[in-house]
Amino acid sequence: MTATLTPTPTPTGTVVYAKARRKVPQLGWMFGAAWLTVLGICAFAANYLPFIRSYDAKIQVNGRAKKYGLGPGWTAWFGTDNSSHDVFARCIYGARQTLIIGIGATIIGLTVGGLLGVLAGYYRGWADRVVSIVVDCLLALPPLLLALLLIQRSDQIKESITAIAWLTRSEEIMITLGILSIAPFARIVRAQTLALRERDFVLAARSVGAKPRRVIWREIMPNLVPAMVTVAVTGLGILIAAEGTLAFLGLGVERPQTWGKMIDASRDDLGKAWWAAIFPCLFLFLTVLSFNFIGDRLARKFDIREAAV
Amino acid sequence: MRYLLQRLLQFAIVFFLVTFGVMVFMRIGMNKPGDPALTMLGGTVRLDQAEAVNARYHLNGNVFGQYWFWLEKMFRGDFGVSVQQNTTVAKYLSGRVLVTIFLGFYAVLWALIIAIPTAVYQAYKRDSRFDRGGNFLSFLFVSLPALVLAPFIIFLFVVKLGWFPRTGEKVMPWDDLGAHFRNFFLPVVVLTLPLAAIFARLLRGDMIQTLQSDFITLASAKGVPPGRVLWTHALRNSLFSLLTSVGVQLGGIVGGALVVEQYFNMKGMGSLLLTSILSKDLFVVQSVTAIVVAVVCVANLVIDLLYAVIDPRIRHARALT
Repeated sequence: MTATLTPTPTPTGTVVYAKARRKVPQLGWMFGAAWLTVLGICAFAANYLPFIRSYDAKIQVNGRAKKYGLGPGWTAWFGTDNSSHDVFARCIYGARQTLIIGIGATIIGLTVGGLLGVLAGYYRGWADRVVSIVVDCLLALPPLLLALLLIQRSDQIKESITAIAWLTRSEEIMITLGILSIAPFARIVRAQTLALRERDFVLAARSVGAKPRRVIWREIMPNLVPAMVTVAVTGLGILIAAEGTLAFLGLGVERPQTWGKMIDASRDDLGKAWWAAIFPCLFLFLTVLSFNFIGDRLARKFDIREAAV
Repeated sequence: MRYLLQRLLQFAIVFFLVTFGVMVFMRIGMNKPGDPALTMLGGTVRLDQAEAVNARYHLNGNVFGQYWFWLEKMFRGDFGVSVQQNTTVAKYLSGRVLVTIFLGFYAVLWALIIAIPTAVYQAYKRDSRFDRGGNFLSFLFVSLPALVLAPFIIFLFVVKLGWFPRTGEKVMPWDDLGAHFRNFFLPVVVLTLPLAAIFARLLRGDMIQTLQSDFITLASAKGVPPGRVLWTHALRNSLFSLLTSVGVQLGGIVGGALVVEQYFNMKGMGSLLLTSILSKDLFVVQSVTAIVVAVVCVANLVIDLLYAVIDPRIRHARALT
């Protein structure tokens, strides 16, 4: 019997490799970053920029202020609205308000939701169960319904709990949207924590006797940051859309009014003056789109599966 | 079976907690007994009238007592009264609920009809021109909430082209089918497009993953025609995220319907909810939230059961526990 030693066969035949994707510059997120930068600068420096009119400036046509007096043109870039204010200036001031509310709400949601999610995911057991029930309850009500309830009742709540009576309208909306975003944030953070706590480095930290608090802060939290940032950016887009919807339904900030309010004010006059409603729509759309682009880019970079917020 | 019971229990806990929470919430700042009645009646009422309402709906007792009586009445079909609208809540709701049901049903249906074939073909021809175009479009529409999409659509189809009426009248399909579709078309489009985009993105991602698994290779290797591989083997295994998302989006549709009903001046649940919340119509708000929560929970339960229908592995795993 001769044992022949056959070499391991080298792969022959055609090995089909996936066609390497052409290297195209990712235009989407670059556009998003550019748009947000320009919008941010305009919004927060609006008082000092010469080409942005003041919030209350009325544009007069032939000596008098006319309803929808001007279409888009050189004098007023986006035309004038039904009280003859400059639509462009109002869009910019609306952007400031919307961005402040969106960012504030995200911070609230991220802090509370993240904390709940980490606790539920790390300790499991009854903590997990309690958080799950809270999250389920928050998710069972349609988000918009919950927001309407919260904002509408906020005046009454302020009356009975005087400790929070100093809240302004925009802060109320901020807190409301923050509460709305607790549930999705908590859910995602919990899932991530569940995966992380089984990893070896967490086991190592625990086996050298690290206290849970230290494990959470030093081992788990830093690893949650990419996911949290990604979800926060995508969530910002959604929160800004939600803020617009609330303002559209008449529960927004009175002054400076935001995009949703502007859309609502002139939506019935689309035939007469399309610019007054379409331009705020465009601003809202481009802003949400930018956040989505950047969120998508981050999700790809950190390899996070699209989280349904 | 045990699994089902567990889910039902969870559903019950959520339902009671949420309805109770809404009830308590609506009563914040109404500490004095009799206040709910005064709020409900609004304006100037004589005290004995308020007393009568309080007695009838047990609004004098503490919150738990109130909750119990409200719940008991509701299960017997008495949703209470809406003094502001001068009818019973049941009558008020039944006039409105169909519009929203039609909107939601058409929106989900069309979103699925658009999303499934697109996503399947996108995944099949991955990175082709069709795939990239579809990706781009779906990305655009994901970022277009109803609030923004509606003015564009109205501007194009109503103002410029004049193909559809500005307001969606409530025409039932059994009255006049053509008018029904003409009135519902634009609102449904506004709701459908973002929804379809979300569904298509989810399904495409899952399909691409499924198509790379071994059993797909096996199926094509043993000579199953590609269409069959795609539509039965692959699709069936990729439906999970999509189904979950349908459940999650149901709540969102209620919100979307609210906006759309405002735009098209339709008298549906959304506008009813808005007016009742703004005017503190206690019983209406409570009943509507209860119904909505119940619908969302039941839909999620059904979807959960559908998982088992699609995937025998889940069915057997559940049968064992």
